[in-house]
Amino acid sequence: MRRGLLLLLVACASPRPEQPPPAQDRAERSRALFLQASRVFLHPRCVNCHPDGDSPHQGMEARLHDPPVLRGVADEGVVGMRCDSCHQEHNLELARVPGAPHWHLAPRFMAWEGKSPRQICEQMKDPQRNGSRTLSQIVEHNAHDKLVAWGWSPGHGREPAPGTQEELGKLVAAWVESGAECPAEGARP
Amino acid sequence: MAITRREFVGGLLISLAAGRVLARTRLAQASSGAGLTPNVFVHVAPDGAVTIVCHRSEMGQGVRSTLPALLADELGADPQRVRIDQADGDKKYGDQNTDGSSSIRNRYEELRRVAAAARAMLIAAAAKKWGVPADSLQARDHAVWNGKRSLGFGELADAAGKLPVPKPEEIKLRPRSEMKHVFRALPLVDGPAIVNGAAKFGADLRLEGMLVAVIARPPVVGGKVVRFDPKRALAVPGVKRVIQMPQPQGAVGFQPWGGVAVLAENTWAAMRGREALQIEWDPGANASYDSDRYRGDLSASVHKPGKPARNVGDVESALAKAARLVEAEYHVPHLAHVPMEPPAALARFGDGACEVWAPTQNPQAARTEIARVLGIPEEKTTCHVTFLGGAFGRKSKADFVSEAAFLAREARVPVRVQWTREDDVRHDYYNAVNTQLLTAGLDSEGKVIAWRQRTAFPPIATTFDASVAGPREGDLQQGVTDLPLAVPNVRAETCDAPAHARIGWLRSVYNIFHAFAAGSFIDELAHARKRDPRESLLEVIGPPRIVTLAELGIPQLRNYGAPLEKHPIDTARLRTVIERATKMANWDNRSTRALGLAAHRSFLCYVAAVISVVRDRAGKIAVDEAWVAADAGTVVNVDRARSQMEGAVLFGMSHAFYGGATMKGGVTEQSNFHDYRLIRMSQAPRRIHVEIVESEGPPCGIGEPGVPPIAPAIANAIFALTGQRIRELPLMRAGVV
Amino acid sequence: MIRLQVNGANRELDVDPEMPLLWALRDVLGLTGTKYGCGQALCGACTVHLDGEVVRSCVTPVGRAQGRSVITIEGLSPDGSHPLQKAWCDLAVPQCGFCQAGQIMTAAALLAKSPKPRDEEIDHSLAGNLCRCGTYGRIRAAIKRAAGMAEE
Repeated sequence: MRRGLLLLLVACASPRPEQPPPAQDRAERSRALFLQASRVFLHPRCVNCHPDGDSPHQGMEARLHDPPVLRGVADEGVVGMRCDSCHQEHNLELARVPGAPHWHLAPRFMAWEGKSPRQICEQMKDPQRNGSRTLSQIVEHNAHDKLVAWGWSPGHGREPAPGTQEELGKLVAAWVESGAECPAEGARP
Repeated sequence: MAITRREFVGGLLISLAAGRVLARTRLAQASSGAGLTPNVFVHVAPDGAVTIVCHRSEMGQGVRSTLPALLADELGADPQRVRIDQADGDKKYGDQNTDGSSSIRNRYEELRRVAAAARAMLIAAAAKKWGVPADSLQARDHAVWNGKRSLGFGELADAAGKLPVPKPEEIKLRPRSEMKHVFRALPLVDGPAIVNGAAKFGADLRLEGMLVAVIARPPVVGGKVVRFDPKRALAVPGVKRVIQMPQPQGAVGFQPWGGVAVLAENTWAAMRGREALQIEWDPGANASYDSDRYRGDLSASVHKPGKPARNVGDVESALAKAARLVEAEYHVPHLAHVPMEPPAALARFGDGACEVWAPTQNPQAARTEIARVLGIPEEKTTCHVTFLGGAFGRKSKADFVSEAAFLAREARVPVRVQWTREDDVRHDYYNAVNTQLLTAGLDSEGKVIAWRQRTAFPPIATTFDASVAGPREGDLQQGVTDLPLAVPNVRAETCDAPAHARIGWLRSVYNIFHAFAAGSFIDELAHARKRDPRESLLEVIGPPRIVTLAELGIPQLRNYGAPLEKHPIDTARLRTVIERATKMANWDNRSTRALGLAAHRSFLCYVAAVISVVRDRAGKIAVDEAWVAADAGTVVNVDRARSQMEGAVLFGMSHAFYGGATMKGGVTEQSNFHDYRLIRMSQAPRRIHVEIVESEGPPCGIGEPGVPPIAPAIANAIFALTGQRIRELPLMRAGVV
Repeated sequence: MIRLQVNGANRELDVDPEMPLLWALRDVLGLTGTKYGCGQALCGACTVHLDGEVVRSCVTPVGRAQGRSVITIEGLSPDGSHPLQKAWCDLAVPQCGFCQAGQIMTAAALLAKSPKPRDEEIDHSLAGNLCRCGTYGRIRAAIKRAAGMAEE
């Protein structure tokens, strides 16, 4: 999976700047870029904590988080079962507990669970549903956020998200630069 | 280390403050001094303080709130002035194995006599002082009374202590009406110490200079260390020693499991040190164990005739001419104990003697095993008993205690062995894995005319004798040979099942799977015959009667060590608990509620359970209410009997929903609560209703018998809700929970 | 050197900041009321309060408690008189007792935030505290009693 993403990155994320592509090609490329990035968004490492319900999931098979936890009003858990009752700012290898700074759930309006790449794309561009972020803030978030970074160093034998955070950052940046177009509804990476 | 001075007791960091710790008994010392000490259980001091020894281990069943209260009541003591001393392991107390739901049922009369003897001596002393006949006096409220005149126990203690101890046949027990406290709910004596964190469990004691040991044990039972390199472990800050454990010889028994121990200044360093150990293992013969494949072996085993264990009439002819056959195969996997407190023990060794503190159910067996491991006489061993943070049979086995003893000798400092949860799950004495085949023949009117039950499981005997290849007739007294059936042709057979894991007893033991199969099958028969499950169950059990050995078709019955004359198999009692549980649950008007029923006699006690299941929002099965009726004969502490039944519902639910240790390559696949799951509060039934049948009959077991009917009642309720018949546990495997 | 408050007293601990708070409390400070049950934040036996919030001390590096306040079961009340401790005794909640310190600490945090918790709140907040003996029903009732609510 990692190899595939890298190959595509070579093809897509390193355009020759001296020859800007025609508008139609550019939109096509933008859609392809997002589709590529959605391999990360739809990976269980990421989608498990972007649930559509009130509880996160665990594992590659996305089983319900156990112990049973709820997002609570601030997406940080409920009293007695806050995310940071157990999750630290780093992974605990002996205890298997994953951790990163500000471990919490994505708000419900940012749910990715059960969504298509197009739906995630539209959601990501919509300030109502992306935490009032500008596109450049979206790029920054994907490229540098420390909780996002956990997806590539999940610890304890967990499969990391495809590629690297740097590659994702470049993909999302290129997607924004190319017009932030969303793929067709049926399109899958 | 930050230790306050007051925690030292003669160089020990062990606090012995009354009521806070299960202190070692001081009756031995007291007996040499003043006061009354008629036996090893009771002491009355000249200041009036009464000390009563609790010789059994407290593991949640409430024995410390019950047995001493029984003695105190028989004595006539004021409970406020009674101190409880926790007995060390010592044969002078008789059997101390806190197991088999036996503390009350086996010692009830004997211990009342012990207290009655002390009472008789106090009365005799008062009679002498007053010059009146003893039979005109009464002992109550911590004093002996003659009308309005009284002498306190303390005032009488010295004089009473000089009198002869009455002979057992001279001792009269109080009539029930004179017992002021027991036979109802008794206070929980250790409640305050538990809720403020003062109660001392196995891992809570410390000795000066102590090291903490965490042991890397062979992943497969019977495996060996080929070689190991301690360098990286010793490089972990805080790690002091790395010591190889002795290799078990022959049948595994209670022997330490072997491996390599890392000893450190604190538990964290010991755990990290163990991670850093490099060990090459020889997994040994059990590396071939694959529990999925073994399941197939057990299934093949029960599809062949086994050795007869029970025979009435002629089952094969009856099956051959039956109008209809009903047949079902049931499977229950290995179950793990997972008490909330993983095993831990503290030991010190010096001058050829070893002293241990441990959460053990059986301190005498612990001493025997320590003596064996160290090669010292048993008299040179001492075993103090701490609180047990759950046990369920796990802590009857002394392996973890002798590990500490061995390491204390080798390291020449006190050592506390700490099992991690992973150790506990992977190196348990698992309950036997079981497959059964039940076949019934019905006549043209739907009456059950034949019942054949084949059962295959690796029995506990395999842990002590490697040559045992399957259950024996005696193993079937837990729910097969003692099962009352109003069926003219009955046959039970044992089928081969060699052991590849360490097998032990777990709360209600073989009853768990035998009740699951029989309780489910009787429900299947009801549906096959289109009958109400309760009416069908009562019909299969048959009319109220005492079931004889001839009717059971067996030459003898161990009957949990009790004589059949005193504790017969009484179907009237079984029927009564069924009627009471179903009445509580409003069985006849259950309308759309999905209720399941099962009933079982074990440890001489009769329990019926009705379970209600619903679908939760995610469409999964949830238990929303439970009703349990139990007839345990005389019940000394009604509240602890109730709490045991409440707990049994949850314990049985955990087995039913999630229970199951599985092995691949001989290694247990589960390791902690994420993959050996237990029921959580959010899954607990909203209500559990318990009725304890009022009875003056001889006392029966309480701790275990609530468990067996739970899983079949759940399975039967699921059938009522969904039409899906569950024949294999855990339910998780079928995806319904 | 880790400086923190434990049950109101200032403490200095010369330990690896990665050592879980549980072992610092138990092995270094001798506060054994907080229990080890799983080491993976799955059972809740090790529950303590860090600045008033529930943490599982078995996975909380002691370094995280630097400059902060830790309350353990020994510090919940000076004399076992917290309403939860009293309710626990009144209703004879404990069986073996091993998990109860953790249960009580979680319940105390719940009542501090939600003095009259609904049934679901109790279940959700205590879902991280396992009890093998099966005292859940009495725990629910004791929390309600401590909160001055009807127990059924």
